This record gives sequence, structure tokens and C-alpha cells, in this order.
Amino acid sequence: MGYKDELVKAMEWLATKPDTVFMGQAIGMSGHAISNTVATVSQDKRVELPVFEETQMGIATGMAMTGWVPITAYPRFDFFILSLNQLVNHLDKIKDMSKGEMNPRVIIRVAVGSKLPFSAGPQHTQNHTEAMRKMLTEVEVVELIEPEEIFPAFERAYNSNKSFLIIEHSEFYGTK
Amino acid sequence: MNIPKHYTKVRDVKITPEELIAFEDRVRDAYEAGQVKGPVHLSKNNEKQLIELFQYIHPGDWVFSAWRNHYHALLHGVDSEKLFSWISEGRSMGTNNLNPNFYASSIVGGIVPLSLGAAMGLKRSNSPRRVWCFIGDMTMETGVFHEAYKYSQNFNLPLQFVVEDNNLSVHTPTDVAWGKRMDVPENVIYYQYKMSYPHHGTGKWVNF
Repeated sequence: MGYKDELVKAMEWLATKPDTVFMGQAIGMSGHAISNTVATVSQDKRVELPVFEETQMGIATGMAMTGWVPITAYPRFDFFILSLNQLVNHLDKIKDMSKGEMNPRVIIRVAVGSKLPFSAGPQHTQNHTEAMRKMLTEVEVVELIEPEEIFPAFERAYNSNKSFLIIEHSEFYGTK
Repeated sequence: MNIPKHYTKVRDVKITPEELIAFEDRVRDAYEAGQVKGPVHLSKNNEKQLIELFQYIHPGDWVFSAWRNHYHALLHGVDSEKLFSWISEGRSMGTNNLNPNFYASSIVGGIVPLSLGAAMGLKRSNSPRRVWCFIGDMTMETGVFHEAYKYSQNFNLPLQFVVEDNNLSVHTPTDVAWGKRMDVPENVIYYQYKMSYPHHGTGKWVNF
């Protein structure tokens, strides 16, 4: 099974869980590569959001504080970095700031934009995975390179007691 | 204070203004004795407003606060000894726990998207509970508040913003820094008060 099909399989599996909800721009409707991987998830599990990256991360964290497991998607790493206040200062620190009483579980999907067969340019193709690993303490960072890594990564993220930042490469949708 | 008419009193607040002041006095004394290993942000002069308001906040509701959170925590039911213990450990700005559901953060505007998400979570769960988000006047001016307020109104979310206006962000007067003040948005509870303590600390130099 190829890269994109593994992502679809993982999303369909997550959608079977009663506490999951999928959110982001072009998650309730079409619009970018990630949209195509949630198209088979029922509409009532998907929330279309405006473009407000930081608020989107806070929404996911707040929902997780009330017991939901949000899968919150960002179509480009370049856009995702606008959410870092909420990710680094809140989601990543809540367990410490509550002495373990609060442990929200959020699954964050971030795509690195393609450079091949054509490049989307310097503001749409950045990959800051290593920077995220240095900045985050509690949130686990996983970069998906091979198709066979995909389903186990999302399965582990859902079954874990912490949040995950899972980075994918839209270039691999058509090449792996 | 402009509490919307659709709210009804759901809690008998037993804490008195004198007890709230005494708690902060105890923190002040411990801080000045060098026993608190982190910054403290003390409240005073808004006891009556908060005691009135918390009569409308259900014990099962979520309360989000910021650095000046001690009164909010006590009035929402956080155990005073637990709270004092956390403050003594240097956790004055992060007095967070479940049952009662209470979260405080010291990043300006940080709690705003979190409270929005909690409200979305409660609504999606068909919960009768709601979220109360206490912010200051400088936070009300930020872009993230505008986004969250607009979204919560448009989707009829169970989120109530409360603006506690002391016209200060640390030492910066909000009206001076912004040139003028924005109008308080519709459905936002609002009151003004005058600070008695500095932004953090007690006004006395403390050697740790």
C-alpha cells in the first residue's frame, strides 16, 4: 500500500473511535493534499475551520481538555509555525503546569510541501521537524518517510497518553 | 457589572471578601519572607465583583484565568491549602487542576483559544456546562480575542468572556499604548477596578 493510501487507512481507523474529531481548513471540504486523506471520514466527524492557525491549535487543546482526541491538520509546515505559541507554551506544558492532572491528547498532522515535480517556493516547502524536536518537551515528534511507518504511527499516537506532532510529506503522496 | 439576564444563580458562594483578602495577605507574607520560589500576582479590590459573578458559575463549569488567578481559583472551589501549596512551589501562574476544572496561563491571550476549544468540546458532548474565560483589558484588544469572540458568537458556543479592566498590562496603560480603547463587545461581562498590588510581587524587595 502506498503513502497516501496508508494515510487514508489510518484516518479511517481513527474515525472509528467515538472520541476523535478531525479539524482544520479544508478538512470539512476539499482544498489540499490532506483533504483527500479524510474524504472518506463521515462529515459529522469533520470540522471546517477558518484560517487562524494559533486559534486552531488552542481549539484542539481545549477540546482535548474536555475529553476529545482532535486530529488537527495543517497543509503546510510554513503555515503551521503560526500555531507555535499554543503548541509550545500550552499543549506541551499543560501536563507540567497541572502536575499531571491534565493530559490532553492531540494528534497534529503537518505536511511538508512538495519540491518535485515543481517547487511551491520558499514559503510553502519548509521542513522544521528538527526545530520542533528541540522545542517540544512532552509532545512527541514523528516524521513519516516510508508508507509502512504511517499506520503504526497514528495507532501509537491514539493509544498513547500524550500528544503527537506527525509530519508527512505531500511529495510522497504520488511517489511512494 | 453587566451580567446577562439569561444567567441564573447556581452557586451559593460562601467565601467572604475578607477571606479572599486574607488569603492574598498570607501569600504576601510568605513571599516577603522569601518562602515562595517564583513570582506572585496578587489580587485586591475586586472581591465583591467576583463573589457576585461566581454565583452564576456552576461548580462543573470550566474556568480559564491568567496570572491574577488566585481569587478565581478559590471562588471556583479549588482547595485553599492546595492552592497555597502550589503558589509556595512557585506555581502561582499555573494553578491548574480538574474537579473543579480550572486552568490558568501567563501568556497574554493564551487561554482564549483554549477556552474556545473547551466550549466546542462541551457543546459536541451535549454537556449542559459552560466555559468562563477571564481576561484583562489588554487581552481584549488582541487579535486572538477578536478571532475567538467572533467564532464563539457565530457558532453559539457556551463560552462567556469576562473582562477585568485595570487599564494595565504590567505597567503599560492600555489606553495609552493603543491610542484609544475599543468598545466592549456585546455579551461580554465587564467591570473596572483599581490595582492595589504591582503587576507581580508585593512592592517590597525580597532576597531569596
